[in-house]
Formats: sequence, C-alpha cells, structure tokens
Amino acid sequence: MANHEAEAKSGNLAASLIGGLAVIGAGIAIQGFVETLKLGDLTINIGQSLSMAGVVILLFPVVKLFFTDPLGAAIHERNSQLEATFTDAENLRTEMQKMRSDYETKLTAAESKAREEIQTAIKDAQALRQTIMSEATERADELVKKAQAEIESEKAKLIVELRTKVVDLSLAAAEKVIGENMDTEKNRRLVQDFINNVEVAR
Amino acid sequence: MDLLQGWNPGTILPNLLAWGGGAAEEAAHGAAEHGGKHEPGFGWKMLVVAIIIGLIMGLLTVARSGYKERVFKNPITQCAEQLFLFLQQLALGIIGKHGRKYLPMVATYWLFIFVSCIFGLFFDWTPTADLSLNLGLAITAIAYVQWEGIRTNGIAGHFGHFAGPKLGGIMVIVSGMIFLIEIISEAMKLLSLSLRLYGNIHGGHEVLLNLNQLGALNFGPHEAYIPLGGLLLPIKLLTCLVQALVFTLLFCVYIGLVTSHEEH
Repeated sequence: MANHEAEAKSGNLAASLIGGLAVIGAGIAIQGFVETLKLGDLTINIGQSLSMAGVVILLFPVVKLFFTDPLGAAIHERNSQLEATFTDAENLRTEMQKMRSDYETKLTAAESKAREEIQTAIKDAQALRQTIMSEATERADELVKKAQAEIESEKAKLIVELRTKVVDLSLAAAEKVIGENMDTEKNRRLVQDFINNVEVAR
Repeated sequence: MDLLQGWNPGTILPNLLAWGGGAAEEAAHGAAEHGGKHEPGFGWKMLVVAIIIGLIMGLLTVARSGYKERVFKNPITQCAEQLFLFLQQLALGIIGKHGRKYLPMVATYWLFIFVSCIFGLFFDWTPTADLSLNLGLAITAIAYVQWEGIRTNGIAGHFGHFAGPKLGGIMVIVSGMIFLIEIISEAMKLLSLSLRLYGNIHGGHEVLLNLNQLGALNFGPHEAYIPLGGLLLPIKLLTCLVQALVFTLLFCVYIGLVTSHEEH
C-alpha cells in the first residue's frame, strides 16, 4: 500500500511538472506567435481577445438553453412519437393480418362445410329419388298386376257368359229346327261339352 | 466614451450598397487617411458583438417558439432544425458516438461566426474580421479542447500523449523534443483557427473595398458610387458558410483527437 501511495504521489508530481512545462511552453509559443504577427503589421490586443473569450463563454449556455437542449428534446420527442406511431401501425398490421388469416381459415372451413352439406343433401336426394322410384315401380307393377287380374277375371267372366249365350243360342236354333223344347238339362250339357271340346281343339 | 475614441462610426455603413456621401468618400480616400485600416474602438467592437448576440438570441427565441409543434411550420424553426441536424451529424461523424455532448459548443461557434460573417456583408467591420476577437474565439476553443483532454485522459495521460511513444535511455531526449514540438503545435492551433478566419473575412472586405473604389465616380460637386463590390456578394455568402463550417470542423477534429480514447 505504501508503495502504491508513493507511486501515486510521484505520478501526480510528474503530471504537475509536465503540465507546468506545457503551460510555459504554450506561453512561449503564443508570445512567439504575437511577435511574429507584429512583424507582419498585425497587432493583437490580448485584452480584447480575452473579452471575446468571455463573450463566447457567456454565449455557450445561451445557445445550450435556447437552441440545442430544447430542439434536441423536441426532435427526440418527435422521433419517439414517430417510433410509437410506427410500432402501433406495425401492431395493427400484424393484427389485421391475423384477422385476415382467421377470416380466410373460417371462410375455407365454411366453404368446406357447405360443400359437405351440399354433398350430403345430394346423396340424401339421390337416395330419396331411388326410394321414390322403386316405390313408384312397385306401385306401378302392382297396378299392372291388378289390372291384368281384373282383365283376366273379366275375360273369364265374359267367356263364361259368352258360352252360356252361345249355348242358349244353339239350343234356341236347334229348337227352332226340330220344333221341340230342347231346354233340358241333358241337352244343355251336351252342347256345353261340345263347345268345350271345340275350345280344346282350337 | 474613451472607448469609442479613434473610430468614426460613419464607417459602419453598407459597403456593398452605399451610394455617394460619406461612404463613397470613405471608400475613395479612407484607406489613404487611415493607412488602409478601419479599426473601431473597443466599445464599438463590443457593441457590434452585443448586436450580433442579440440577433442570435432573437433568431433562437423565434425558432424556439415553434419547437412545441409536432411538425415544425415556422421557417426559422425549420432552419434551426436543419442546422441542428447538420451540426449533430458533423459532431457524431468526426468526434464519434460521444460527440453529441459537444454539440452546444459546436453550435455556439457556428452561430457566432456565421451571423458575424453575414453581418459583415452589410457593414464595414465585423468581429470575424478582427484578429484579436478571432483569437478570443480560438482561445476558448483550444482551452476547451485541452480541458476535455485532461478530463478524459487525466493530466499525465493528456500531456503524456504529447511526448509520443515511451522511449528509454538516451532516447528520452527525443521524447522531450517531441513534447516541445507538440506543445508548439497545440499553441499554433490558435494561429490556425484565428488567422484563417481573419484572413478570409478581412481579405474579403479589402477586395470589396478596392472594387468599390474602382466604381467611385465624380460628377462635379456630386459624387456617385457604383458598388462593384456587390458582385462579390454570392462568393462572400459562400465564404460565410465555409468559414463557419471550417472553424467548427477543426474544433470537432481537435476534440475528437483528445477524446477518442474515451470509447475504448
């Protein structure tokens, strides 16, 4: 510790000596400068120079107070506001992009859902159509069958009626020919058998 | 009033636009009568300096009234903003990242020199055309540079740089010589700053005065005056800008040299 203090003291002493030498050297140089100017018919009034230096020293805080400090603060504030505005705009842009992305996702989902629903509806409609068509076909077949049965029934009925009529006519004709009543049960059966045989032969 | 003795306030007349009268006479004969010099007294000098400071304060006050607006609409505020940004860029570019804290000093020099030079476009004398007052500006600049150097590197560190690299043995003599040369070099920065400004502005005035003398006319009892020096107005306006820039640029360079170790 003692060594450090001694070194510091010697360092300060050396610095003071160097500073003193520097001041003396500068003084000599300035004196030389003034003398040189005198040779060139240029005179310097050191008092006026020091007065001017005082004026500059007084002007310095005025410039600092009226110019650099307030204007620097105003520019800094404006830049801060601009940065804040840009940040806000950037945030809004990010938010808008997110909203747009969400909207697009929702739109895509809605489109997909709508497409699915349409497909389902189409399938349902097709199934319904198939059902209706098969029902209609069945119904038509039933109606056709029923109609055919009715036709067959009517046909059979008519045939029976026609046979009866033919028998009656035949008997009536034969009665006219032989002049007797031939409307006996036996005759009738004979005619009927004949007609049946004819029908079979046909 | 003793301060005003020895200087004719009539010489504070527009040397660009004056026609006839005292200005013409002064232009034609003044140089011979006063040995080519129009040296005002200390009082008049300080009066002009005060007027210039008043102009600066007036402009800054007008500019300041527009700082509260979000977008600066006042033209003077807009000019102040552009000047601020320009000087800030200059300080940051030359001194480094820590250059912003020297901005008030840089702005002080720029404003004073520029307004003084503009004042000198219309009047016969201006502070920047005076070697003594320019030396005052240079003294503050160099003193501030040395102060900042000492504050950044310490006394030993700052003056130690003047001795160059550490040499041992007999080579210490070389270090001593380097130290002496550096001290003279630092002192000569006063010459560099003050004489350059003085030479440019005063030289411009002298050229203008001689051109005006070429335009002096005599019509019997009446005297007329063609301000040929007015032709120099554009180049003198450019000189105002350049000289303000050069002074502040050199100041920034000097500050940058002594404080560049601050970033390491």
